[in-house]
Amino acid sequence: MSAQPLATSLIVLPVILAIISAFSYNKALRYAVVYSTFILLTLISAWLLTYGPFTLTYPPSADLLVTILDFLLLFYFLYIGFIRKHVLVILLTLLQIAPLAYFEAIAHEIHVSPTIIVDYLSITMCLIICVIGSLICVYALSYMEEHEEHLHLKKTRQPRFFFYMILFLGAMNGVVLSNNVYWLYFFWEVTTLCCYQLIRHDETEQAEKNALLALWMGLIGGVAFVVAMFVGLLELNTLAIFDILRAHPSIFSALFLALLSLAAFTKSAQVPFHSWLLGAMIAPTPVSALLHSSTMVKAGVYLILRIAPGLRLLTPLSYAVASVGALSFLTTSILAISQRESKRILAYSTIGNLGLIILCAGINTPLTLLAAMLLLVFHAMSKGLLFLGAGIVENRVLTRNIEDWEGLLMKYPLTTTIMLIGMAMMFLPPFGMLLGKWLAIEAVASSPISAAISFVIILVIGGAATTLFWSKWMAHMLCHPPTLKQLKVEKLPIPYIVSTFSITALDIIFSALAAIIVAALALPALKPWYSIGLSLPLLNILLSVGSFVTWPLMAALALVLIIAWAIAKSKKGIVAPPYLCGEHIEQDPYSFTTTADKPIRFDVANIFFDKSLGEPRLNKIITAIGVLLLILVFSAVV
Amino acid sequence: MIQALVSSIVLIILAPFIGGLLCGIDRKLTARMQNRIGPPILQPFYDVLKLWGKQPMISSSLQPVLASSYFLFSVVALALLVFRQDLLLAIFTMALADVSLVLGSFSARSPYSYIGGRRELLQILSYEPILILTAVGFYLLIKSFVIENLFKAGITPIAYLPGFFLALLLVLPIEARKSPFDISASHHAHQEIVRGVFTEFSGFNLALIELGHWVKLIFFLSILALFFTPNLILGSFIAFIAFFASMLIDNIFARLTWKSMLKITWSVGLALILVNIALLLHLGV
Amino acid sequence: MGLIDKARIKSPWILHVNCGGCNGCDIEILACLTPRFDIERFGMLNIGNPKHADILLVTGPANRRNARMLKNLYEQTPDPKVVMAVGTCACTGGMFHNCPNVLGGIDKVIPVDVYVPGCAARPEAIIDGVVLALQKLAEKARGGRK
Repeated sequence: MSAQPLATSLIVLPVILAIISAFSYNKALRYAVVYSTFILLTLISAWLLTYGPFTLTYPPSADLLVTILDFLLLFYFLYIGFIRKHVLVILLTLLQIAPLAYFEAIAHEIHVSPTIIVDYLSITMCLIICVIGSLICVYALSYMEEHEEHLHLKKTRQPRFFFYMILFLGAMNGVVLSNNVYWLYFFWEVTTLCCYQLIRHDETEQAEKNALLALWMGLIGGVAFVVAMFVGLLELNTLAIFDILRAHPSIFSALFLALLSLAAFTKSAQVPFHSWLLGAMIAPTPVSALLHSSTMVKAGVYLILRIAPGLRLLTPLSYAVASVGALSFLTTSILAISQRESKRILAYSTIGNLGLIILCAGINTPLTLLAAMLLLVFHAMSKGLLFLGAGIVENRVLTRNIEDWEGLLMKYPLTTTIMLIGMAMMFLPPFGMLLGKWLAIEAVASSPISAAISFVIILVIGGAATTLFWSKWMAHMLCHPPTLKQLKVEKLPIPYIVSTFSITALDIIFSALAAIIVAALALPALKPWYSIGLSLPLLNILLSVGSFVTWPLMAALALVLIIAWAIAKSKKGIVAPPYLCGEHIEQDPYSFTTTADKPIRFDVANIFFDKSLGEPRLNKIITAIGVLLLILVFSAVV
Repeated sequence: MIQALVSSIVLIILAPFIGGLLCGIDRKLTARMQNRIGPPILQPFYDVLKLWGKQPMISSSLQPVLASSYFLFSVVALALLVFRQDLLLAIFTMALADVSLVLGSFSARSPYSYIGGRRELLQILSYEPILILTAVGFYLLIKSFVIENLFKAGITPIAYLPGFFLALLLVLPIEARKSPFDISASHHAHQEIVRGVFTEFSGFNLALIELGHWVKLIFFLSILALFFTPNLILGSFIAFIAFFASMLIDNIFARLTWKSMLKITWSVGLALILVNIALLLHLGV
Repeated sequence: MGLIDKARIKSPWILHVNCGGCNGCDIEILACLTPRFDIERFGMLNIGNPKHADILLVTGPANRRNARMLKNLYEQTPDPKVVMAVGTCACTGGMFHNCPNVLGGIDKVIPVDVYVPGCAARPEAIIDGVVLALQKLAEKARGGRK
């Protein structure tokens, strides 16, 4: 397959599949479409990996098509603004339509060549989008069935759901392949559209409200793109991102990159734009998994990683971008401690990890960029898995309050194990996220920036906070009365098993063999711009400043668990009720006997620090600091 | 090369024994300080052996696995240290052991165990940042996180990193489960929350946890000893002195609340470290 | 196994249970921990948790209210274990033995291995009792295997 069909199919094939699924009221057809999406997209992205980097120029007719579609999209947003009577949406859309119309009038000579540039960063993102993204769509097959059963829907809305989910995959591919900033902007807006439609899928009042919040914050990014395009057109004479990255730094290239950074911040829900992602948690869980952890929000960090080489010589701007990431990482990690709702914790954690990636990218040394890429890849897998697991749990226990998830291991062993593995993968060695965090600390500490130590302290405090909220959540799911009857492993539908097991397997394998990701994807992505002092002896990671033995640690982990299990098996114990000063009740493990021989229930509750670290107290301050940092970003341009 | 390998393995195998001896000497000295005779120095070993021989009694099916993990992961972390690998990685691996203990204590639905587990998490929150920053401190000095390079560099860290050393001394009581920071598992008959984290563990589980505690202690003391490379004998000696100093403080001070523990370790500890870093930058290191 | 048996005698951990006596014997037991008598030199620790204990030191008479509690604690103590009834009330009910709610000595509820009479039992007697209890513990451990 040559370059053009390859690139075109990555964008157009999902569109076709999406249109088919929009008519798939028949369950078998829907299953067929989604499974085909998974198979086809995986094959194509694998082919892309073997094909390697390439460039491609589309004829001007493609540019015309993009322009027409873009205006249609913007008018659709305007229409939404009017029927929902939302002033900001109307305003922000007009702020794009009017300048763009003028833009079209003056810019018809500009033809960006090449339209598409595929390098290893694009390939990495494509793999994530196509493999993880389509696995999440497979998961959604079962989830949406259960979801609609709970809602007692008479007519299924799944066709519309899958239309936007699969369309989104095509749009994301477009984002990561584009060199033409107009094309990138267009695909970016399509992802905003999908985000809006998917958040409001259940059509409740709260869903509509939150969807509009996501929409106008996303439109801020759109406006930023339009201004950036004007800067590109008028001052830099190009709309090709790679040309701007290679150009000599000037105040206008700085402005261009700062505007793109602003768009990235809105898409990745960095502080002060974090509220839309939290509101988006009202959407069905596959949406949260696909858009709001694995893929769409990754568009923002993808963009930051894409422009990082251009920020190398613009150090004040680069470090200002890093500060925005640092603030998000620190504050959302702390805020996650006080949350009781499962998806909100996952949302805060996502924003935090994205902030960490942006922090690394902003500091802009070869090692920090390597850390950023590793975090990107592993976060997509781990967080996606966690959302999938959270969705399965939610459909069974019908509550998102993690205090009610007590003892879930005994009720739903398989699902809980998936969740536990996912959480362990987020913060424990030897898994990939910890590899990324370890590398981030070492890379930031060894960076030449004079404020390195303050960033390291932020990393350490944020890291401590993440350890706290993951551990306490994991532990609470294990809390159960001591009935040693045989665990009944629950039966899960095939789509759940396929999606969760695949992602788990991928994460474990690639954590142990992270050297492969480094060698095959990360290093080739960074090589054109940076030189990295790194070797991979025996598939472990050896830097000039540190070393990480990936697969030996994974082997040690496996060995420890085997020995532990053997010891446990060899000592068959009798069941003992928990110690309650002798007043436990044999028949009712949740109560004890108190005065007048009456049984009384006792509860165990987790720590949340509501009053000192809760949202009401911290949110306003955090948003204010976030706005200040944004001002800092733009003042760093001059 | 073979000799280094053998001596490292011997060190790892000896670690629990040295840890147990330290705890035994600690109990003896504590008793002498209280004008008592005290148990024999080998008492901790008798305790562990007796516990191993008890009838297994389990409050949660996960406890055996998690208790063994606590011990075994501590050994893995110590091994990374002894084999002079990346210090930061070793510290993160020790976190695996800590989390196993917390998971084990939460898994039994018992109020005392649960509260102990919560407090254990807060303890981890108190000492982990300082440990990680210590690794960063070593980096600032030798421009590497790998312990092997510390030996190659020929610098004695204590001369440049006294603030880090003092911050570690501040959190040593947490690691050694001594007052004023023994809030999650009161050792030796204190009964505020019965036995806190350890309440629901019994028999061989508790024996494994004791062993894990000894290995963790040796891990922490080894980091203290690293401040005196290349003279590790002196370093070990100073580490033991530090341990006994914390024992002395244990006998003088009462237990503090978790709020005080967090406040003290984060304010004083971080302040010591920041002052040290400022001095390092000023000296142009 | 010789080593573990030896360790059992050298490391007896005590669970001190008060079934509702006058606290006189309790104070005598705690006096054993003081430097004057120092039972920690025998490796004894006053562990407040039945799951960690080897020896149950019970004071006070058994009555209807605490019978269930005492039985629960006894069952929560893993084998091998010994029970010591300290003080006359624990042995036979003592001065409470005819009260309407009192069942008698604690041997009405759980099997007792060593009786230490006295009102209150003196620390020396308690220590003698513990030494006897340790011998019984070793016998039980060996006997349990035969």
